[in-house]
Amino acid sequence: MSNLIVGIVDYGMGNHASVMHSLKSMGFKVRISADPQVLDNTNILILPGVGAFPSAMQALRDRGLVNYLQKQAEMERPMIGICLGMQLLTTASYEFEYTLGLDFIEGEIVPLTGSKWHIGWNEIKCSQQDSPLESSNHQAFYFNHSFTYQGADKYKIAIAQHNQAIAAVIRNGNIVGLQFHPEKSQDPGRELFKNLIMGLANAKKTFDRSCHG
Amino acid sequence: MLKKRLIGVVTVKDGWAVQSFGYQRYLPLGKPECLIKNLDRWGADEILIQVIDRSNQKIEPDFPLLESIGKLGLSTPLIYGGGIRNVADGVKVIQYGADRLVVDALLHDDLQEVQFLSERLGAQAVIASVPLSWQDGRLEWFDYRTQTKMAITNQLLTTVQSGIISEILISDWFHEGQVNSFEANLVKNFPFQNIPIIAFGGLSEPAQIGKLLVEPNIVAIAIGNFLNYQEQAIQKYKQAIAFEQFRRPTYACKYSLSTNA
Repeated sequence: MSNLIVGIVDYGMGNHASVMHSLKSMGFKVRISADPQVLDNTNILILPGVGAFPSAMQALRDRGLVNYLQKQAEMERPMIGICLGMQLLTTASYEFEYTLGLDFIEGEIVPLTGSKWHIGWNEIKCSQQDSPLESSNHQAFYFNHSFTYQGADKYKIAIAQHNQAIAAVIRNGNIVGLQFHPEKSQDPGRELFKNLIMGLANAKKTFDRSCHG
Repeated sequence: MLKKRLIGVVTVKDGWAVQSFGYQRYLPLGKPECLIKNLDRWGADEILIQVIDRSNQKIEPDFPLLESIGKLGLSTPLIYGGGIRNVADGVKVIQYGADRLVVDALLHDDLQEVQFLSERLGAQAVIASVPLSWQDGRLEWFDYRTQTKMAITNQLLTTVQSGIISEILISDWFHEGQVNSFEANLVKNFPFQNIPIIAFGGLSEPAQIGKLLVEPNIVAIAIGNFLNYQEQAIQKYKQAIAFEQFRRPTYACKYSLSTNA
């Protein structure tokens, strides 16, 4: 059992149960909440999501979570967005209507080109060495989306190919977005999820020690 | 490269997993959870649960079953079909742990609601189930509730083409449960060849499945009854089909990934 506590941000969009079961199977303690006081007492935040971008941003606003998450990002709190949750981390999306996002990772969400959807298992190719994803290079994960991240290459740390290069993982400091579903990607997903959480949490501990020690 | 998928299907009637033959005869198999757990352990690319008595009885999706499946902690993508009447049902099904939805009766009853589902959940989450048969050189669309056949309507075709659904599940309902009997004309003669198709019904033989998979519009093969006759059936099918666009067969890891941080 890990000492790390993972907070799942509950904003009413998505499949929290699957993410929670996956995290628990890896030995993490899990809290699911929209309450900042509960989320404050966790080591890392997960932003899951299934659905459309505008209604998801509205759901975050309705629960007063946009300001909270922005403050956490300023404090360099580790955060992982999954699928729609990843897209919410970016500047804005063109899904249905132009909608501003959380803007933690500069870039926009645009429709896929070449095909309408990217559904199923696809291999990722990591573009950075010494990242927590390195052992997952060339593994296949489960994707299910029709919009994709468009932004600077420096934020794209893994890509998948499907008629175009698709940003599979994006990162800005302690904030990481996964376009695929690690919780639904069987053993490769669990391994990547575990490595990522441990990597981000340990990096944060090191950072905090160097700032305060 | 995006892989083609082998989907394990669990058909549920009156709370029990059943083998289904031609949408008419049913043999009980046991608890759905046991079959679903096997498919997860065997590394199915997706699991489709179709609860076939909900729309007939005009009752809501089987949320108790979804809740029970949620407790299994599956790590395989889950597709659910059965009793989805509106957006509220669809959202709840996703919240209970499904990744995607299949609609069938709603395609007959209320295409507007299918559009609303797509707007709320995204088209990638919506699959249209279209049971078909090939009769006298033409396709016929089957309504399982009334057990009647009709020509595919223009409204359905417009819906399919409009992009509010991401894939079509074409079921050869007549040959369902019969060995090596899938009617290839169902997919060859489907009006649009650019729509991703999941083929289901009467698919049992590796050679037959391999032949279908080379068609560019076939993105997945769904198998139900024929997975029940052997242990590790998914892996064995994948090995026998030896199709390079499949994800390699996976075997459950005997070592825990539990953290010790």
